[in-house]
Amino acid sequence: MRELFVEIASSLRNNKLRTALTGFAVSWGIFLLIALLGAGNGLMHSFMGNMEDFVSRTISVEGWRTSKPYNGFKEGRFIQLDQEDLNYTQGSKWQGVIDNISTRTSSSSAVLSLNGKTVNGWLSGAMPEHQEQFKIKMAAGRFLNQEDLRERRKVMVISGSQAKELVPGDWTTLTGQWIKVGALAYQVVGIYHTDERDFRRSCYIPYSTYKGIYDRTDNIETISFSVNGPVTLEEHRAFEDEYTRGIKRLHDIAPDDNNGLWVRNGYTDNLEMTKASSILRIALWILGLLTLVSGIVGVSNIMLITVKERTHEFGVRKAIGAKPGDILKLIIAESIFITAIFGYVGLLLGMIACQVMDKTVGQQAVDIGFDKIQMLVNPTVGLDVAMEATLLLIVAGTLAGIIPAWKAARVKPIEALRAE
Amino acid sequence: MALIELKDLNKTYNNGQPLHVLKGINLSIERGEFVSIMGASGSGKSTLLNILGILDNYDTGTYTLDGKLIKDLTERQSADYRNRMIGFIFQSFNLIGFKTAVENVELPLYYQGVPRRKRHELAMEYLEKLGLTPWAKHFPNEMSGGQKQRVAIARALITHPQIILADEPTGALDSKTSVEVMQLLKKLNQEEGITIIVVTHESGVANETNKIIHIKDGIIGQIEENSDHASWGASIIK
Repeated sequence: MRELFVEIASSLRNNKLRTALTGFAVSWGIFLLIALLGAGNGLMHSFMGNMEDFVSRTISVEGWRTSKPYNGFKEGRFIQLDQEDLNYTQGSKWQGVIDNISTRTSSSSAVLSLNGKTVNGWLSGAMPEHQEQFKIKMAAGRFLNQEDLRERRKVMVISGSQAKELVPGDWTTLTGQWIKVGALAYQVVGIYHTDERDFRRSCYIPYSTYKGIYDRTDNIETISFSVNGPVTLEEHRAFEDEYTRGIKRLHDIAPDDNNGLWVRNGYTDNLEMTKASSILRIALWILGLLTLVSGIVGVSNIMLITVKERTHEFGVRKAIGAKPGDILKLIIAESIFITAIFGYVGLLLGMIACQVMDKTVGQQAVDIGFDKIQMLVNPTVGLDVAMEATLLLIVAGTLAGIIPAWKAARVKPIEALRAE
Repeated sequence: MALIELKDLNKTYNNGQPLHVLKGINLSIERGEFVSIMGASGSGKSTLLNILGILDNYDTGTYTLDGKLIKDLTERQSADYRNRMIGFIFQSFNLIGFKTAVENVELPLYYQGVPRRKRHELAMEYLEKLGLTPWAKHFPNEMSGGQKQRVAIARALITHPQIILADEPTGALDSKTSVEVMQLLKKLNQEEGITIIVVTHESGVANETNKIIHIKDGIIGQIEENSDHASWGASIIK
């Protein structure tokens, strides 16, 4: 083993420029592969960032605008869900399939004020299940509970960003205080977590409170529930179709009109997302690998020249007892050595590039008018990718060395000795 | 049985026009002999040496070395035979440039799988025997021709081969060093009984050996007993 390293080292020392150029090709290939995968991960995290909150088995249904005339109604009609839809959802037909049903009122804009400070928000009536269904993380206090709902308490859960605006400094002290909204006052019972780039402004009050004060109709904005039963994507789709068919019937929406209802299915959305991200990932790998191929061809080329230059030496080695396998081993080891060392450098640089991306582009939010989004979120690659890349390098090095090594091993000693 | 037995050995090169180089060679060399094969260039002497050294193959006939038929061997087998039975000394030394003297001498043992410490010890022993201890850590380009050839001889000896094949061993040396190298080979033959075959076109060199085999146009001509070292060409040594 030591012998092998001595030989590789001396061979590389004798050809510094050539080694450096080849090494650069390999480093560059791996660098691009890692940087591409990092950027791709960032893009995917960005897509899924908001989704993350809904990655659950929750299905939400809202009314939307029809796009087809049906049963004497024109298209473009706005659908409003109501008590009937809730009854349908709670009906015996879905016993055991649908549970955790919660409803939400529409949101109305509101100005929250405390000690002369004000902040905008969207007031919305929700149920305790909302927290679990939409993965709301509490930063302080608690979410709404059944008591709040039953007693129509004037309590409120606000977002972290609002709390910070109302109480600079230790904003968690806001829990327990009374906030004025118009002529009414609500006691803050909880503050949900938002990070610096999260601009959610929903303020939740009990569903019953909202209905009693702001909206005395039996309109329902959103019905959310969990499903048990469907497992595969097909089963989920089938369930969704069957469920919405009932709602469509209640509102005279054409059965084939997909615009009458707005359905968000956390499970299938997530699956679609996973599929899309895996396609993106594969595309990036292919791009990176293609770049790497040029590096591998470079190494292979160099090894071919090396073999040609060292033919006489191989002849001497064979004369004194080197077997073809010994020569093969020598060349392949050298090839792997070059690819591994320079590839590792490329890997490290790629990782650094990902960190740089994270610290620069990753910190910027792009304003798209109504919201701000981050282009890249955590654009880095994991240890698994680094391991895969390392493995790839070894395979690549072997591949690059095989043809030259085979050539060197096959030369007859007598011919090799004649070569100069 | 003789150490080397050649029976009706034929070799033809097919490079465009077929060239019949060895035309039925019959030769036997006993253990402990010190022989030279002499001939002009193109006589087939180098081809014969390559076949004897298992570096090249032959077409018809038989070659038996130490009782083993050397025919249709795989590359692996011939590498192994070369390693264990044959020591080579070349005209241009053929030392590996980026290895020191001692590393060059060690190399045949490396291919036998001898552990590093052990082969280093042995190599140093052989270098000492040839008076090269102070040069052990030198690279070939830091040594004189005579020193290089002695390193090559040490490398050839280290595996205790059955025969030493020397291809124009003095071809690249001045006359004084040539004499020294031939004396060294002679001493190795006399004191250690090593079988040595020298290929040369110089009669002065051939005269140092005990038997001179003349080869001409691929056929063995005269075989001259030369124990008194008084061959007709003795005075021509350069």
